[in-house]
Amino acid sequence: MTWTIWLIGALVLISAGVASAYLPRLRAHADRKRAAWATATAAIAAAGVSRDACTADVPEARRLLAEAEALSGGPAAARVATELAERADPLWREARDG
Amino acid sequence: MADRTLGLARWVLAGVAVTVAVVFLLHQRQGDIDVSYGQSPSSDYEEGDAGELSGHSAPSTAEMVRRVQAEPVVRLPGSNATWHRRWLREHVGIDGVRLLFAPPGLDEQDTERVRDVAEDPAIVDAPFELVTVTGTKVRSGVYTAVPDDVDGFQRQFAAGDVTGLLAAVITGMRDEGDPPAAPRVAWREPTTAEVDAVAADLERDGVHVAEGATLSDVPGNASNAFPDTEPLVVALPRQDTALPRQDGASPRQDTALPRQDTGRPVPDYAPALADRFPDTPVVVVYGSYIDYAGPHRDEFYEVATAGVYGMLGDRLGRYDYPQDNVLFAWLNKVTDIRYAGLFDRPLPYQPFDPLQVTMPALPFVFAGCVLGFVVLSVTALRRRPSHGRPPTVRLAALSALSVEVSGLTTETGNPSLTRAITHLDAAKELDCSLVATRNAHKLLDKAEEELSETARLIGRRDYEPRRYVMGWEPSSQAGECGRR
Repeated sequence: MTWTIWLIGALVLISAGVASAYLPRLRAHADRKRAAWATATAAIAAAGVSRDACTADVPEARRLLAEAEALSGGPAAARVATELAERADPLWREARDG
Repeated sequence: MADRTLGLARWVLAGVAVTVAVVFLLHQRQGDIDVSYGQSPSSDYEEGDAGELSGHSAPSTAEMVRRVQAEPVVRLPGSNATWHRRWLREHVGIDGVRLLFAPPGLDEQDTERVRDVAEDPAIVDAPFELVTVTGTKVRSGVYTAVPDDVDGFQRQFAAGDVTGLLAAVITGMRDEGDPPAAPRVAWREPTTAEVDAVAADLERDGVHVAEGATLSDVPGNASNAFPDTEPLVVALPRQDTALPRQDGASPRQDTALPRQDTGRPVPDYAPALADRFPDTPVVVVYGSYIDYAGPHRDEFYEVATAGVYGMLGDRLGRYDYPQDNVLFAWLNKVTDIRYAGLFDRPLPYQPFDPLQVTMPALPFVFAGCVLGFVVLSVTALRRRPSHGRPPTVRLAALSALSVEVSGLTTETGNPSLTRAITHLDAAKELDCSLVATRNAHKLLDKAEEELSETARLIGRRDYEPRRYVMGWEPSSQAGECGRR
């Protein structure tokens, strides 16, 4: 009967190893995604503020922001959206200041 | 710190579990055991190989039956058992009993012939009981007698005296209860001349074989039985304890004798030689009986002697074994007792082999390690890592700054303030994980940037966020970053 201890123990050990390696990964991915999208949302919102403060119409900036708002997906997409929004933001600021 | 320790312990447990499993698996033996049940290396024993046959033979059964019917006591040629006829007659009574003395060491056919005498119809129907004495083995019908104490062994094997055994068998046949105690072998101190003669031989060779003794050499196992000192061995022939002329014209009168007739005394060499050779084992063989004096006598002598004669007494009585064989058997028994730790020997120490000792426990050690690993893993998973300093203080300071500044901003400063508040809101939404903390700090950097622009636009250097945060003290310390 001892061999069942070895079998069950080995199975439990392997599954515990897989679970303990995989769960933090999944969780970290979710964290990264959420954080990246928070940053992107903040950047888009900031660009929106600049747009609202600018009286002139800047088509280039509007296109960039629309592109950023249209994006969705993982952390990489969020980073692209952040970049687009941050490129649109100075355009409106310049248009307002200039 | 505790986290690190737990993590370490977790992987150590996993390592131990794997090691234990591997060790256990490597030590399993299956199917490589070579056992043969049909090739015993023992050799067949043939009667006479040990020199137990005397070369005497018995006459035909019919001849013996005829002689038994003719006379009450028949002694075949070569029979050497002695008995006290008078003592037996006085204490037990031998009316209706006939004795047949056969020599020891008969071969199988002769033994058969002697046994057939008792089963012969003429004897079975006869008005007497026949007692057969083969060597010193006494037997009648279903009854046999064996001695059960040292006195009895001495009588039977040192002196060949079967009086006590005859008494036991006869009383047994008659249902008369316990037989009377037969006279013991009488011992006397040997004379100085006798001891000197033996001691001279012992000093030279370590062994003395008297005239008539059958010992050829000291058996090789003597060094096992007495590993410290080589034993001195004295071999004497069977002792004749019979008084001269037992019946009829005895020089002594019955009335003058004590009731317990002790017979001729035997020189007791063992104690005398032990005095001469102190601290040396002295083994004295009288016929088939072995006496001993020397170290540890009290601890093993009676056990060894009772063991040897209890087990081998039957064959020793019926056959004519050389003294070498008897001494060999006795020394073997002494060796057994010595190695059993009964005397003069510490119990053998078994060195501690941790692998052998823990092997049965390994499955449970393994199970324990797996359990510990799982428990620690679950603990580690449930506890969320909270590395990095939580941005709470910075968030609070910048929020406070934005509120203070909001009253002072004009249209020019409004957009940057709004952007800062957007970033602050986003940072507030993030939780406490490592990535989130890092991102929150990034967002706060941006908010700080916007707030410093705001401060520049409204022309108030004291609202520069860096200075403001340095001088800002929370009214109550922000607590731990909790889970949302």
